[in-house]
Amino acid sequence: MHAAEIVKAIEPLKGSVVAIKTVQETRPIEDFADAFIAEINVKSASKVIKALDSAFPRDESLPMSHLRRFAKRNMIPQELLAAIEAVSPPDLHDGQTLFVMIPPPLPDAEALRKLLAQFAPQPRRRNSSTPPRPDLATLQPEAALSDSPSAAQASTSSTSPEPQIPQISLVKTRVPIYPPFNISQADQWTKTMWPVVFNPAAPRSNVSPPPQILSRTREAIEPRAGHFLALARKVAEEAHTSGRGRAVGAVVVDPAIESELESIAWDKDSDPTEHWMDAVVAVAGDVRYARPEAAHKFSETNKTLGDETSQTTSGYNPDTEGGPDLHALMRAAEFIARRRRQQDEELAETPEPALPVVLTDPQLSNQLSPLESYFLNETSRLTQGPEPDQWPTSNLSPKKRKHGDSGAGWADEPQVSSCSTAPSTAPSGEKNLSARTEDGSCSAVDYNEDGPSSPGSRIRTRSEGGYLCTGLDIYLTHEPCVCCSMGILLSRFRAVIYPRTGRLPSGGIASEPIVRPTRDEHASKEEKEEHHGEDREYYGLHWRKELNWRALGYEFVETELNEAGEGATALTKDGSQEDVIFHA
Amino acid sequence: MDEAFSEIEITPAVSENSKHAQWMKAALDMGEKALEHGETPVGCVLVHNDKIVGRGMNDTNRSMNNSLKRRTSTSWKPPHAKISWQGTRHAEFLAIAEFLQSFPKSALQSTDLYVTVEPCIMCASALRQYRIRSVYFGCANDRFGGTGGVLTIHADRSIDSAYPVYGGLFQKEAIMLLRRFYIQENTKAPVPRAKKHRELNTAFDQVREITATNGVEVLPSSQ
Repeated sequence: MHAAEIVKAIEPLKGSVVAIKTVQETRPIEDFADAFIAEINVKSASKVIKALDSAFPRDESLPMSHLRRFAKRNMIPQELLAAIEAVSPPDLHDGQTLFVMIPPPLPDAEALRKLLAQFAPQPRRRNSSTPPRPDLATLQPEAALSDSPSAAQASTSSTSPEPQIPQISLVKTRVPIYPPFNISQADQWTKTMWPVVFNPAAPRSNVSPPPQILSRTREAIEPRAGHFLALARKVAEEAHTSGRGRAVGAVVVDPAIESELESIAWDKDSDPTEHWMDAVVAVAGDVRYARPEAAHKFSETNKTLGDETSQTTSGYNPDTEGGPDLHALMRAAEFIARRRRQQDEELAETPEPALPVVLTDPQLSNQLSPLESYFLNETSRLTQGPEPDQWPTSNLSPKKRKHGDSGAGWADEPQVSSCSTAPSTAPSGEKNLSARTEDGSCSAVDYNEDGPSSPGSRIRTRSEGGYLCTGLDIYLTHEPCVCCSMGILLSRFRAVIYPRTGRLPSGGIASEPIVRPTRDEHASKEEKEEHHGEDREYYGLHWRKELNWRALGYEFVETELNEAGEGATALTKDGSQEDVIFHA
Repeated sequence: MDEAFSEIEITPAVSENSKHAQWMKAALDMGEKALEHGETPVGCVLVHNDKIVGRGMNDTNRSMNNSLKRRTSTSWKPPHAKISWQGTRHAEFLAIAEFLQSFPKSALQSTDLYVTVEPCIMCASALRQYRIRSVYFGCANDRFGGTGGVLTIHADRSIDSAYPVYGGLFQKEAIMLLRRFYIQENTKAPVPRAKKHRELNTAFDQVREITATNGVEVLPSSQ
């Protein structure tokens, strides 16, 4: 079946898109550290802060704004208060005291005592049975000097008549070093540790994507996600049946085109999912068995090509797994990078200087499957592309591929597909096509001025704002491996989406076991995954506070499967590997 | 590094006058070459039976598969996104690609990697999937490091066997390469940043002088 027909025949997966939690959410960081609590004179609060901040500069990497710097006696948790009162009895002072928290990293206790000594609470006058006089209570240490002849002994002067030297009692306590995740956590900490502020407006990108962006994106991708994932399965099937790789597929979608499609559909009052395929900028299948080094694998598979058997993928043997650069995601990123580079070189005045000793894997990019070739050569029907004479003569194009290693007839078929598509999706602009068909591998007669304006790749050029995979979404048949998950970030994808049934214990995105298995026929499968889940790492790489790029992560939860339909077929194919853990 | 690398000192796991030194120097040479060509100066070599069998340096600018400083309006960017050398064509991948031209993948099980900067999370996982024998690196990478910098991909639970990692070998040299790179203006960036007023920092306040004597000699049993 030709690529265009495959695409047209695709039945979308049915289900819903759910956001994947981040590891910050699933493992709320409850890191605690020691802090000092000191009782000070209520009037010296601002001076205390100044003195503390200049003497012990704060660790900028620790966000401490959720911790109250000061607390009144009645705000302090019972247990902590008891500890404080054990060393600093409340009746010792005049009652005009406040408690200051000195956040981690802890300064030297002696240095801290010395620093705070001058702000010590006013002692209660034991000689007097009357409560402290208001005017005395308002006395600052400086003011208190009026009682004393020596200005230099500020800290001791006020107590000279009594043996009680005003000293700072430090109590060590635990405080949460990260902001509370929600208000109940804040309350909990406030009641048990130290008063904590929950700020819902605080930037929480360290924890999770802003909820409105997460849900807006989810709503935007949901209508077509089932289509893209169904296409990814077709690409996976192609990779599997060709023997070049495991049944893993990737589909790269430009959400900007999606929203254009939405608005066109809105204007025409048509189905916004009808032209879903127009938003696909690239597809890529796994080719882990295709490298010459692992050629024996490839040829073995070819012998049984077309057979139901999938012996080659029935286990995990690291020696035959090729390597992550042959995984679907890496290839998809590579396709886009190379296409963009070609576009740029076409437009560039001067060629880039050649580098020595750079070897790339020709297998990775030069051999395209029919579906890969089809989408890479698809043109945009929505946006104005480059002028006809700037049409890049891509070495990703079928004619170039034909010159490459054609192993197993792989390369012989595709040019048909890329040239026999309906006019609506074919490259238009006769001149360009004739230029591209000098080897006669495809005929351009059908496509000319009838097509839309001028042809342009759907992959935006750099000058059009395209850069890496910035702003693009990637749909995968499986949870990507750790390597590919990081590749998603390094490629600057906006979002990653895969079906929940495609989770793999070797994956890098999931952040927790599947909590509630659905009660449909997949329940047992999901339970099994949960079982695997006990023996895997949950990296949640899509959104980690440590990393400098974050992508939105979604799982597609299938709600309904047509057993006779395409989706079920694809699933069965996947099903043959469901017990095998491999890197997707 | 103001861009991507901290200068946390690591105690070198192997001494700098050992035979590991010559391989790391070869990796530094690759980094030097990368710098000459305007690439992020990260270099590496693969060593098999006392021979260099693969060389790599970042190929991100050339392959356009990298990231530069850019924000577009089409996607939301989290704050604190300090972008520097990235992309999927990292030095390690290129070295492995060269290696595979002449050796079967299984030979990586008896091959060591020497790389000037700690492998990122992506490369750390790739090296594990490729079953590298061991990894020696220069300076740590606390932004993306996958062998201790941020995550410990080399040692975590996985379907592939773990590999040992030895860091700190010629870290000063590795850092100087990076400093020399980041002081340049990146003319390839869509929005180049002027860095006229920057001066090359040659001080190593935080990095203790490393001598052969304070390096702890920890060698894989096979060597």
